[in-house]
Amino acid sequence: MPLSISYSSSADTSVIELAGELDASTAGELHEVIEKASARGLGTVEIRMAKVGYMASAGLRSLVFARQKMGEGVEIRVVGANEAVARVIRAAGLDRSVQLIDE
Amino acid sequence: MSEQVAVGERASVLRVPASLGSLGAISVLVLDLAGQGGLGEAARYRLRLAVDELATNAVIHGYRGRPGEIAVTGEVTADLVVIRLVDRAPRFDPRSRWRRPEPGLPAHARPIGGLGIHLALTSVDEFSYAYLDGRNVCTLAVRR
Repeated sequence: MPLSISYSSSADTSVIELAGELDASTAGELHEVIEKASARGLGTVEIRMAKVGYMASAGLRSLVFARQKMGEGVEIRVVGANEAVARVIRAAGLDRSVQLIDE
Repeated sequence: MSEQVAVGERASVLRVPASLGSLGAISVLVLDLAGQGGLGEAARYRLRLAVDELATNAVIHGYRGRPGEIAVTGEVTADLVVIRLVDRAPRFDPRSRWRRPEPGLPAHARPIGGLGIHLALTSVDEFSYAYLDGRNVCTLAVRR
């Protein structure tokens, strides 16, 4: 199932907007964009997930990858994740590595 | 490359190549069956997630890129929606790899390999595993 990804950045924030489904068949594309965002070296990375209807553990791996790729000083925000997606993030304890923010 | 056969009114079988590209077709079957069973949104998500994780695991860690097949059978019973995943990858009982996340460690410092299995096994209401005639048979069920 498809995942669409857009990337933009402002003075201090990288914004990655996702729409669709994040599973093992689509997470690879997200890794590429995370690398791009990491290379920009900005202080905040915002991953907008309001339009993500489904996320499997491959998506968690992407968040871990983002955390490892960005320096400790970089804030990673996951914005607008629906309840089911947020539950998966919490079940893995990742809500202590990234900030879960309601829209 | 996939074939879905209706077996009676409330059961179906899907045979797909063991590749990540098959995950979508498997999810379609699971969601269809969840709909037939009248599962709520949360239960539907849990069942899909569990099946998706175990199928992904069979593709990546079971077949490891070798050609193979995954058969998915679904059934709605009086009180359950049941999905059975069958593969011919090397013998593997998911419960043997069940590692709970270690709360003391920051997430990015933990091994993440067992997470999919953790999610799968904690998402369903019933799980069983059998190794029969050289096949891994995982049965997952969510209450209606």
